Amino acid sequence: MKETSNKYLIVAILLGLAFHGSAIFFTLETTYDALIHLFFADHYANSWFEPWNYEWYTGFTVQSYPPLVHQSIGLLSMIGGLKFGMFSVALIAIVLFITGAYRFSLMMTANKTVAGYAAILAVFSSSFVETLHIFGQLPSIIGVSVLMHALPEIYLWLKTGKKWYLATSLSLIAVTVTSHHVTPIFGMIFFIFPLIGMVIMDVSREQVNSMKEVTFKIFLNSFFKLFKRIVSFGMLSLVLIIGCIFPYWLNSKANPITQVPIPHGSRDNFLEITSSGLVFFLIPWGIILVLLPYIFYRYYSKRYLFFGLSITICTILGTGGTTSVPLKMLGETAFNILTLDRFTLWASILSIPMLGEFTYRFVEGDLKELIQNKFGAIYHRIIGGILAGLMVFMVVFTMSLNYFRPSQPQKIKMLPIVNFLNQDDHDKWRFLTLGFGDQMAWLSAQTNAMTVDGNYHSARRLPELTTRPIERLENSKFKGVAGIGSLQQFLTTPEKYNLKYIFSNDKFYDPILYFCGWQRLRQLENGIMVWERLNIPPVSSILPKEDVAKWLKIMWGIIPFLTVLIAFVLNIQMLWVNALKTRIKPIPDFLKFPTTYNKFNRNVLRVTHIWSLILAVAVFYGIYLFYLKNDSQRSPENAIIAYYDALDFKEFEKAHSLIDPENQLPIAQYMLEISVTDGLLSSYAKMDAIATEITKHNDSTVSAKVTSQWITPLEKIEKVDYKSLSKRKGKWYLQPDDLNNDLPPDQLYSANATKYFNQGRRRITTQQTHHEDILKQPVLEVVSAKLVQYDGSYAIIGEIQNIDNVPADVILKGTLYNDANKQLATYNAKYHVKHKLMPKESSSFRINFEGIAWSRTQDSIPDTFNPDEFTPIEFEEQPTKFNLQIAGNVSGSDLYKNVVLSAITIQEGSINGNLFNSGIQEITIPQLLVTYYDQNKEMLWVDHLFVKEGVRQQRKQDFEYEILKDGAVKIINTDMQNIFVNGLPNDAIAGKIVPNRIENHSDAQLQKIDHPDFSYIKIEINTYIGSPN
Amino acid sequence: MQLKRTYIFLLGLILLSSFAVVQNNEATNPIQLLTTQTDYAVGNAVVLKFTASEGEKPLLYCSNSYGSTLVSATLKDNALQYIIPQNITRKIGVVHWKLLDENTSISSQFYMHPKAEVATMETYIGPPSIEAGGSDYTMLVVIPTDSLDNPVPTNTKVNAKFQFLASEENDAVFTKNFISYRNINSKRESGRMLVSSESLGINSKEFTINVWAAIPTDFTIAAKRPHNYADGNQVTTFNTSVLKDKQDNVVSDGTFVTFFITNASGNILKTTGTTIEGVAHSKIIHPDFKDSWSIKAYVDGMAESNTITLDYQSVIDDFDVAFTNKNREILVGPLQSFMEQMIPDGLHVKLLIYKDDMLIDTITKTSFNGYVTFYLKPAVYENDTYNFRVETAGIDKTFNNKKLW
Repeated sequence: MKETSNKYLIVAILLGLAFHGSAIFFTLETTYDALIHLFFADHYANSWFEPWNYEWYTGFTVQSYPPLVHQSIGLLSMIGGLKFGMFSVALIAIVLFITGAYRFSLMMTANKTVAGYAAILAVFSSSFVETLHIFGQLPSIIGVSVLMHALPEIYLWLKTGKKWYLATSLSLIAVTVTSHHVTPIFGMIFFIFPLIGMVIMDVSREQVNSMKEVTFKIFLNSFFKLFKRIVSFGMLSLVLIIGCIFPYWLNSKANPITQVPIPHGSRDNFLEITSSGLVFFLIPWGIILVLLPYIFYRYYSKRYLFFGLSITICTILGTGGTTSVPLKMLGETAFNILTLDRFTLWASILSIPMLGEFTYRFVEGDLKELIQNKFGAIYHRIIGGILAGLMVFMVVFTMSLNYFRPSQPQKIKMLPIVNFLNQDDHDKWRFLTLGFGDQMAWLSAQTNAMTVDGNYHSARRLPELTTRPIERLENSKFKGVAGIGSLQQFLTTPEKYNLKYIFSNDKFYDPILYFCGWQRLRQLENGIMVWERLNIPPVSSILPKEDVAKWLKIMWGIIPFLTVLIAFVLNIQMLWVNALKTRIKPIPDFLKFPTTYNKFNRNVLRVTHIWSLILAVAVFYGIYLFYLKNDSQRSPENAIIAYYDALDFKEFEKAHSLIDPENQLPIAQYMLEISVTDGLLSSYAKMDAIATEITKHNDSTVSAKVTSQWITPLEKIEKVDYKSLSKRKGKWYLQPDDLNNDLPPDQLYSANATKYFNQGRRRITTQQTHHEDILKQPVLEVVSAKLVQYDGSYAIIGEIQNIDNVPADVILKGTLYNDANKQLATYNAKYHVKHKLMPKESSSFRINFEGIAWSRTQDSIPDTFNPDEFTPIEFEEQPTKFNLQIAGNVSGSDLYKNVVLSAITIQEGSINGNLFNSGIQEITIPQLLVTYYDQNKEMLWVDHLFVKEGVRQQRKQDFEYEILKDGAVKIINTDMQNIFVNGLPNDAIAGKIVPNRIENHSDAQLQKIDHPDFSYIKIEINTYIGSPN
Repeated sequence: MQLKRTYIFLLGLILLSSFAVVQNNEATNPIQLLTTQTDYAVGNAVVLKFTASEGEKPLLYCSNSYGSTLVSATLKDNALQYIIPQNITRKIGVVHWKLLDENTSISSQFYMHPKAEVATMETYIGPPSIEAGGSDYTMLVVIPTDSLDNPVPTNTKVNAKFQFLASEENDAVFTKNFISYRNINSKRESGRMLVSSESLGINSKEFTINVWAAIPTDFTIAAKRPHNYADGNQVTTFNTSVLKDKQDNVVSDGTFVTFFITNASGNILKTTGTTIEGVAHSKIIHPDFKDSWSIKAYVDGMAESNTITLDYQSVIDDFDVAFTNKNREILVGPLQSFMEQMIPDGLHVKLLIYKDDMLIDTITKTSFNGYVTFYLKPAVYENDTYNFRVETAGIDKTFNNKKLW
C-alpha cells in the first residue's frame, strides 16, 4: 500500500505557522512568562556551565528550572540575538505541538482523516492559543508536545515489545523531562497510565472477537502478559525523569520551597472571581465545553475507559477553588504549589482526538447523516456555522485579551536604562524596578547590573521575600499590605542589599520613596524616573554563592542537548520515512483498531443538544448579570460605584457624564476643578473598597453615605462622603460637590531661594572620582537622643541638626543592645525624620525597630490592606542600650521649605490647623512631624501625620491631627555616648562647630497641650513635591 | 621578670652563636666580596663583584621592600659580576643580598639613596571646606617625588603657598619621612583660599578651600505687611537683619531661620526662611480674625532675634444669618471687609451643629462673593431640633432650637 501525504496535516502545519508564527511577534513579549525564559536563556548564553546567577534575588541557581528551552534559546541567540532565539524556539514549539496532536490523535482514533481534522483543530485550540500567546509558557508547550510524540512510541513498545520502540519512546520522554519537569510527572498519570490501559484493552481485544467480549479476566491476563514491558518502561522512565535533570532534584532537596504560597488565579472560586474563571476555565476549554457530552461519552467507551478516568480527574482538578474537591484530592501543600490551570490544559489536549473525531463525523460522517435525516440539511449547516463561529470567536477573543485587558504595562524602551546602568559605574550597585511588570526580566537580560528583585519566585532566598505571598517587589502595590510592607523594608534599609537605584514606571510609589529618604535623580528619555539613595556602599566584588559539584554542572550543561540529539537520531529515521515515503513501512499496530463511524448514537446527540441549551442559558444569564452590574445609571448604587470607579481610573469624561445635567456644569469647568486638586488622595490613591448606604426620599431623589477605602503607598485612607442623587428620565445622576473658593492674595509673586548643584565628576574619566572632587560630608549634630518604649514597641527618638553650611541628606541607623552588649536589632529611620536638611535646620526623628512582618508563616496575614501596618520586632531580651550612626551627604534636591503653620487651635484630643504654602511650588503631600514633650520639656515621642490633600501655591489647607490617646512613654536610656556622625563621635565633632550651644534653645516656643502624659508638642513640616518645576 | 630576662639572654646567645658559625663558614669559603661601595644614588647601575672560585657561578638573592629576585653571575676579569636589575636599583631603600653558594653563604646589604630632584608632586588637601575663626584647619600634604617615583631626601624644602583675600603667603616646610605637611588654619574672614606648593622648582596644581562663615550670632527681625487688617487674604513678610558670625562674616546662603509666632490665645504658629546674603525672608498669611502676634526668630541652638509684636484688626464686626427652606438652607452674609467691600473669596465660615447639646458635626465652607450657604442634607440630618453656631472671622453666633423638617 502506497502511503499518501496527509493533506490535513500539511494544511494544519502551514496554517499554524502562518497564524501563530506571525502572531507571536505581537504577543509573546507581553506574555507573563516569555521574558523570564529569555532571562534564563541570557544566563546560559553567557555562562553555559555555571548555574549560579548573581543578578536576581542576591543570587540564585538556574538549576531550579529544567534547562532545555532556555539553553536552546541561549544557543540560538548566538546567531541572531536573544529574541531571535525565543521566536525560533516558539516556531519549533508550534510545529511540535501540531504534529504531536496529529500523532496522538492518529494513535487514538486509527484514522488519518480524523487525525488530520484533529491537527487543524489543535491549531485553533483556545487552550494552546492562551498558553502560547497569553502565558508564554514555552517549556510547558514543548514538554507536552514531545510527550504527545512519545505516546505512539510507548504504545508500540508495549504492544509489540520491539526494543527499538522502547529506545525511541524513552528518548522522547527524556526530552520532555529536560524541557519541563511537571509535564512528564503528571503526564505519567494522565497520559501514559490510560495509554497502558488502552494497550492492554487492545491486546485483550485481539484474543476475542469483539470489544464486548473483553472481560475483566481477559484484561487481567493481558496485563500480566504485558507486565514486564510496562514495568521496564515505567522504571526506565523514572530513571530518566530523575537522571536527566538530577541537579534540579538535588537543588529542590537542598532548597525546598518553604515559602508562603503565592496566590494564583487558578485556585480561585471561578464563580466568585469571574475574571479567573474566564482565564483559567472558559478560555482553555473554549469550544470543547459544548462538546463535553460527546467527549465523555467516547472516552467512557470500553477501549478508552482509562482516558475517560484521566480526563475526568483533570476536569475536576481544573475547576480550582470553585469546589473543595480539588483541595481534598491534592491535599493542602500540592494545592497551594501547583497552578491548577495546567489540568485544564491537559484535559483540553486529551480532548483533541475526540474533537477531531466529532468534527469528522459532523462534516462527512454518520453524524452529518443523522442530523440531515432528522433535522434537515439547513439545520446541519446552521449548527456547523455556529460551531465554527464560536471557535473563531474564542480564538480571536483569546488573542485579543491582552489588547483589551493588558496584563503588562506598555512596552518600555530598555536602552536608556541599560545605558544609565553602564554609565559612571552605576552597575556597581543593585537596582530595583517598579511598575515594569514582567519586562524587568528583559531588562535583567540586557544588563550585568544586579537587582534585589527577580521574576522567578521559586528561587527567592531573602526571608524578606520568601515570607510574603508576593511574586515580585516590582508590582507590590497589587499585593496589598504584604507587598508594600515588603517593599518598605527594602526602601528603608537599602544599604543591607546595596540597593542604590530605583527605576520607577509608576508614580504610585513616588511618595513612599521620598519619605523613605530617596531622591529623584532624573527622568530618562523613555519616561522612567530614576531614584537614588545616598550613602549606599557598592556591591562587594566577591559575592557569596552556593556552589555545586563540577560533575553536576557538566551534567546540567550537556544532558539536555544530548537528549535532543539522541531523540533526533533515533526518530529522524521515522520522520524521513514518513515524510519522503522512501520505503513501505509496516502499518503501526495502533492502526489495527479503527472505529467504524456508521451509526451515531442518538442519545448522545440529544444530550449534546440539551447540554448546549443549558450552556447557552448560562451564558446569556451571565451576560445579563454583567449588564445589570455595569449599567451605571440603573440604580443609585450603580451610579455611585461607576462615578468612583471613573474617578479612580481618571476617566473624568465618564465621571462628568454621571453629574446631573440640570446643574449645567460644563465639562471644562468640571475638569478644571478636578485638575487643581492634588495630594495623596487624589493622585496616589487606588480605591480598594466602596460601600454605600442609600437613604431614599422619594422616587427621584436619594442621599447616599459613601464610605470608600483607598490604598496609598503610605497608608490606608477611609473617606466618607455624602452624595445626593437625582433620577432624570429613568437614569440616576449625582449632584456636584462644593468647591473651595479660596482666592490667593497675589496674581504674580516672586521668591528667592538658594539652590545647589553638585558637579559629581568634574573631569570626564572612567577612573575613580578625583580626590579634590569629593565633597566633605556635612557635619550633623545629634542634639538629643534616647531609647524609649511606648505601646509595647521600642524606638530611638531625638533631634538632629545640620550644623554645616551646606544642605544635607540625613540617614540615621539605630542599633539596640542588651546589658551584655549583645546586638538585638538594627533599623533605619523611615519617615519620622526630615531626610533633607538645610544648613542649621533641625528635625525630630524616631527610629522604629521593625521586624520582618509575618515572618512566622503561621501568623495569619490580614486580608485587608494597610501599608502603614507596623510589625514591632520581637525581642528575646530587653534592649537597654543603643547606638546611633548618622551619615550626612550633600544633596541639593527636595529642599522646599516654604510651608507655614498659619493657624492652630487645640481642642480636646485633637489639633486643628492650617498649612499655608508661601512658596512657588505646589505641595503634593505635606507631612507633619509632631514631637511630644513632658512637663520638663523633655522629648518623649515623635508621631506623624500625612495630610491627605495637597497645598497649592499661596493657599491654605486645613488639617486635623488626633493627639495620641494615652500612653506613658518609658524612657529606657538617655546615654548619648554611642552616637557617631559620619563615623566620628558626636560630641567631639559638634563641639568644634558649636562649642557654646544654647541648650534647649527654642523650648520657649513649644505648644502647650492638655494631656495626662504629655505637656507640650512641637510641629515640624516636611513636604513632598510631586512635580517640581 | 626573671624568666623573661633568662629568655632574652638565651636568645641572645643563640643569635651570637649563629654569627660565629657564619664567620666560620666564611673563613673556609674562597668566594669573597670585592665591591666595597655600599651607598648608591638611586637609578645608578649597581654591580657586585666577587672573587671567582673554581668556575662556580652561584646565584645572588637580593631583596628590597618591593620584592625579591635572583641574579645570575657573569664571569669577567676572573671575577664574578652581579648586575643588579633596574627594578631594584630604581627604588630607594636598603637592598639585602645573599650569595646562594652550596658550601657557604655570604650576605650583606647596600643602600639606594634618593636623588635631590623633584619630578612630580603628589598633593592632597582636606577637608575642602573649613570654618572661619582661626580654630578650624585643613591639612595640606605634599609628597615630592623624583623622576623614578621615589620620595625625595629628608628635609627637602617644600614651599606651601596660599592666597586668601588680599594676602598671598609663602611658607617653607621640610619633608620628613618622605612627606611634608602643613596645617592651614582659617582666618577671621570667610572666603575662598587657593593653595599650591613648590619644591625644587616644580609646582603643584591649584587647590581650593572654601572658608565658610562660622555659626551666626543674634540678629534682629522686622515685618512688612500691606495693611494691618485680619482679612485672611494678605501676606505678611518677615525679614531678618544680615546674619553674621562673631567675626562679622555673613553666614552662608541657605541658613535656616525659624520664626515662631505666639498669638493672642497662646498658640504657636511658625514660618521658616533661608538666608540669601545673610537675610532670611519668610511669609505668612494674615489671620482671619482679630489677633495679636509676638514674633521671635531662632537659628536653633545658635542665635536668636529680638521679639516684635504685630496686631491685626478685625475686618468684620457683624454678619447676618438667614434660615430658609425648612431651615435646611443657612445663608451667611453679606460678609464685608474694612471698606465695606465684600470680603475676598475664601474666608472660612464654620457651622457647628449640636443636637441635645452634643456637637455632632462641623462643616467648614469658604465664602464666595461675600456669602456662604450651608445646605443640611436630609440624609445626614434627620428631622429634629438642632442648635447651630456659626463662626467666622473670630466672631460667633448661636441659634438655638431650630427645627428641621
